[in-house]
Amino acid sequence: MASKINPRFAEELKQYGSVNFNACYNCGNCTAVCSLSTPEQSFPREMVRLSALGLEDELKQSLKPWECYYCGECTTQCPQTANPGELMMSLRRWLTAQYDWTGLSGLLYRSLSFTIAALLLVAAGVLLFARSTGFDAERLIHVGHLFEMLAIGTVFLVIFVPNLLRMWYFTIVKQKVRVPLKSYFSALPELFVNMFTQKRAKDCDEDDNFRWLEHMVLVFAYLSLLFTTVFLNWFGSEHLFVILLGYLESLLVFVITIHFVSGRIKRNKSLNKFSQPSDWLFVIWLLLMGLSAFLVRLFIDLQLLENNIWMHILHLTVLAQWALIIVPFGKWTHFLYRSFAHYFVKIKTMQEA
Amino acid sequence: MNEEKKIIHYDALVVGGGIAGGEAALNLANSGYRVLLVEKERSLGGKMILLSKVFPTLDCSACITTPKVSEIARHKNITIFTESEVTTIDKRSENDFVAQITKKPRYVHVEDCTACQLCEQACPVSVRDEYQQGLIGRKAAFIPFSIANPKAAAIDIENCTLCGACEKVCPTHCIDFTMQPEQFELHARTVVMATGFNLFDPLEIPRYGYGQHKNVITSMQMEREIAPTRPFNTILRPGDGKVPDKIAYVLCAGSRDASVGNPICSQICCMYSIKQAQLLMGALPMADVTIYYINIRSFGKGFEEFYQQAKGMGVSFVKGKIGTIKEKENGNLILRYEDISEGVVKEAEHDMVVLSVGVKSNPDAGKIFPQGALKLDPHRFVAQTDLMGSPAKTSIDGVFVAGTASAPMDIPDSILSAGSASSEAISYIKQHQEA
Ligand SMILES: Cc1cc2nc3c(=O)[nH]c(=O)nc-3n(C[C@H](O)[C@H](O)[C@H](O)COP(=O)(O)OP(=O)(O)OC[C@H]3O[C@@H](n4cnc5c(N)ncnc54)[C@H](O)[C@@H]3O)c2cc1C
Ligand code: SF4
Ligand code: SF4
Ligand code: SF4
Ligand code: SF4
Repeated sequence: MASKINPRFAEELKQYGSVNFNACYNCGNCTAVCSLSTPEQSFPREMVRLSALGLEDELKQSLKPWECYYCGECTTQCPQTANPGELMMSLRRWLTAQYDWTGLSGLLYRSLSFTIAALLLVAAGVLLFARSTGFDAERLIHVGHLFEMLAIGTVFLVIFVPNLLRMWYFTIVKQKVRVPLKSYFSALPELFVNMFTQKRAKDCDEDDNFRWLEHMVLVFAYLSLLFTTVFLNWFGSEHLFVILLGYLESLLVFVITIHFVSGRIKRNKSLNKFSQPSDWLFVIWLLLMGLSAFLVRLFIDLQLLENNIWMHILHLTVLAQWALIIVPFGKWTHFLYRSFAHYFVKIKTMQEA
Repeated sequence: MNEEKKIIHYDALVVGGGIAGGEAALNLANSGYRVLLVEKERSLGGKMILLSKVFPTLDCSACITTPKVSEIARHKNITIFTESEVTTIDKRSENDFVAQITKKPRYVHVEDCTACQLCEQACPVSVRDEYQQGLIGRKAAFIPFSIANPKAAAIDIENCTLCGACEKVCPTHCIDFTMQPEQFELHARTVVMATGFNLFDPLEIPRYGYGQHKNVITSMQMEREIAPTRPFNTILRPGDGKVPDKIAYVLCAGSRDASVGNPICSQICCMYSIKQAQLLMGALPMADVTIYYINIRSFGKGFEEFYQQAKGMGVSFVKGKIGTIKEKENGNLILRYEDISEGVVKEAEHDMVVLSVGVKSNPDAGKIFPQGALKLDPHRFVAQTDLMGSPAKTSIDGVFVAGTASAPMDIPDSILSAGSASSEAISYIKQHQEA
């Protein structure tokens, strides 16, 4: 099971944003000050060690990077300024690339030019399509709606299901975890509770729950906006309740993301000090999604859309880039993998019990 | 006050009366040079005179320091200014260093004081005793400590209420509140800087709770508790006076830690902690002593054997830096750390914790010379400009450095370094004799 030591792994990890972790002198202070570290799941020092040695198999099989919510305490207190918090973040990006069978995740993380090319390609596709409809608002809204449903289904079946299976294979099967099938059911609450509440992140900052609350509101707002547009057909709806609901959700999405973006600009927390292109992409596109959706509906209600079809094309472009690049291959997946990581950890503890 | 400035002449000025400065002064004096030794505290001896025993020989520190200090004090070629500050040193020519020195009033005529301690008994003011590291109190009229040199009373004017009680009881009438600061202008032909080190201030690491958790103390406080001239007759934890039976040492507290601005190793704390652990095993045979470390640095002569000896005596060594210390209601402490050998985060309960605080530079040395003429290294120790060839040399020709003023080091190395500084100083004087 032990893989080969690979000193060059540090170079690879650097492309995923790691900083200075080779300065680590293995003191364990980071683990001791981490409020999420437990005797069963002690991190991040072990991850720093495995990364320094380049033991890729062990890293691939570990769920610990997903247990970290990047409070940054370890980084602040690290006596060697080895930045273990940022290492955990880069490992999450690296793991995302390992789980992804298409290899696109890794490419997008490692290469900014590839990311920009992909974004431009999608934008061009949307424009071509819009031209083919003769810039007809009605049709655009209709197709946009269909696209959304189709994208969700495809991404789920073609990308997420196989990638989650791969994650399961690395972290459960390869680790020789043997549990009865019913454990997979009884652990399910762990999956959903973490997915929707990120309850573990609350232990991160004992005295400041605001970030956690903000994040949770964002997750709910985003997911319900998705539901409102896809299943309640927000842009086509006549129901006052649905219309107002959509406004509220999209408003929350872009207001909270504006706050996140400004935090990253100000670098006010360790979490915000070393933003990678993927981090910027994620928050900015989420912001644009919320904002453009809000404006499209506003244009509809003010009967401006007919003459300002560009607004909707803009929204469609952002939406398509989001759904085809960021959701399947970018930072969005962290949300999914993290929830599943908690689920798998729970399953593992069931084996030991 | 300038009118009253006294002009004095010596061959050498030694700044700092710790073991390094004392040794350098002695070497110069024994070679026939006249030395002025300036010390800012009320006694000579520096940190060493306050220590218990010394690694790796376990000799009694006071028994080595006291005779040496009295030899210095009695030497006909050495003049000592205690409670004195060198404010500036100006190099006028190759053999004329001009130093401005302020001697603070002690309010006691040292020559007449018999150290009868009657003033101490009479004084109504109690404050924390700095020489006992704050573990007990002392009076405002006091003898600094039992083996201080000079051994004479002093008045702590900051805390004195000027009630006059001490003056009345003093049988030799040596207490004199009319004393004034004295100014001196010294001309010397060479200078030895032996200003020593400062201890790391553990308040800079709030997560260790020093100053808040009553039973978290520093290693210097523990030195006092186990020294022959100790404040209590046994080892007590300060919170409630209980004799501790589960003592923890936190190594690298404020050293090798960039997050508190001190990334370098202090060189002495591994060894003095092992020493204290051994002494504690002797003093409290039933106690458990655990040392939490990152790496044990036992690099010197006899050090590794000393470390193995501690293991053999039953001292526990755990690899893992202490992350946080929390206090329980009964005064016990919970230490959180990662046990590196198992890769598991753990919590351990101890009833007393000793922070093995590190060595910080004493920035005084750099301030004395005008416009940064005396170069400091990145950690603000006096820079050794020819480390390999002539380690006592500084950026100013004729100014030499001795002991921990140049870097963290133990006593043997401080004395060696003082030997090097004094012989460099002597050859400097000789070279510039006729100029
Ligand atoms: C807890 C502890 C335990 C230790 N145990 C051991 C041991 O067992 N064995 C061992 O080998 N070493 C031990 N050491 C190390 C030892 O204390 C040092 O190596 C030694 O004291 C260094 O001597 P020094 O003269 O260089 O410095 P210091 O002892 O710091 O002396 C410097 C002197 O200069 C004076 N001074 C400073 N600035 C000025 C100024 N501007 N003007 C005038 N005077 C000034 C100071 O008041 C002081 O008296 C221990 C240290 C500590 C903290
Ligand atoms: S605190 Fe820093 S130096 Fe210590 S183990 Fe963690 S990363 Fe390494
Ligand atoms: S960033 Fe916070 S949660 Fe993550 S490892 Fe460091 S201390 Fe733990
Ligand atoms: S005069 Fe000052 S030192 Fe003397 S007894 Fe009174 S308070 Fe104490
Ligand atoms: S001597 Fe030991 S305790 Fe002191 S700083 Fe160095 S490694 Fe740490």
